[in-house]
Amino acid sequence: MRYSYIKPRKKSLLTPEMKLLFAFFSMSIVMLMGTYVFLLYKDVMFIEDKKNIAEKKEILKKNIKDMEEKIAYIEQQNNTSAKIFTQNAVLKDSIKNLFDLVPQRITLSRAKLLENGLILYGITPNKDIYNFMLNAPLRSIFHKTYSSFYPADGGWLRFVSTNYMDDDEFANLKVDNMENKDE
Amino acid sequence: MSSISRQSIYILLLSTILLTFVLLFSFNALIPEGKEYRLQRVQLSKEYKDLKRYQEYDAQVYDELKKLQADHRHIITAFDTPFEKQRFVKKYKDVFKTLEITSLDNNSTEDGFSVYNVKTSSKISTPTTFYKFLDEINKSDWIVAVNFPIDFQRDGDMITSTFQMKVYSNSKDSNRSK
Repeated sequence: MRYSYIKPRKKSLLTPEMKLLFAFFSMSIVMLMGTYVFLLYKDVMFIEDKKNIAEKKEILKKNIKDMEEKIAYIEQQNNTSAKIFTQNAVLKDSIKNLFDLVPQRITLSRAKLLENGLILYGITPNKDIYNFMLNAPLRSIFHKTYSSFYPADGGWLRFVSTNYMDDDEFANLKVDNMENKDE
Repeated sequence: MSSISRQSIYILLLSTILLTFVLLFSFNALIPEGKEYRLQRVQLSKEYKDLKRYQEYDAQVYDELKKLQADHRHIITAFDTPFEKQRFVKKYKDVFKTLEITSLDNNSTEDGFSVYNVKTSSKISTPTTFYKFLDEINKSDWIVAVNFPIDFQRDGDMITSTFQMKVYSNSKDSNRSK
């Protein structure tokens, strides 16, 4: 017995509602996966960037260390040269003072400057002039002073004056001279 | 029971599956990855700040080095210049009447620098010449320290001066300023 004259439509699981639902579900899943992939990609990029930064930092650290070593070396060169220049200037003043110390009436034939002493050879008209005009100032500078006299032509006397400083006093004087020059 | 259609059951079932997937995916993958992303971003930002600080300090040290090199060019060059006796004699022959330089064997190291010892014999007319030499030696092409003993001896109208000099230069194993 037939109730209808048309053929029954074949029912499908993919109805328009179901298709809409699948489209919605697919979009949701794609968005979720997209976000996840984006985060994974960014993480990889961050790790890569951190690696690059670490490498740059290492290069910079090495560079800074090298430059600091160069700076320290130049400062050392500067300090050493300053010390030497001061020594030369102190030496010049010392020699100048020595020759200024010798009176007109006494003639030096030789002057030997040692690190902590001075040996003078020369001729003097007599012992008194030597003692008052040369030996007295030498005694005020040096701690040990020895003088020897030998007769020379015309009644003059040849002398050898040997003068030394105590080691401690000499060290102090050296420091004082250097400080004064630095100022 | 007969009021719920088969289609509604499918929709309900699919929705439940999707919801379960979304929840599981979010809590197990997306949220931990998001936290990791935030953490990495903060760390990277710190690293960038740190790098910038290093770059600034590097530039500062570089400026300081260049300034020092410019200010002390004469000293740096003098320490780098090897001592040549002929050149020294040529340079200072105008100061002295005669000048002779002899190398001494007792080379040493002082303050990390090589020290080359030489003995100098010269003839001068007045002590003033020697003062002039001491002034000029500080501006020479080498770092030279005039050293004791210094001997001045009258020789007719001239004075024979004999003294030692220490010439300082960069030691071979520490030529870092080059």
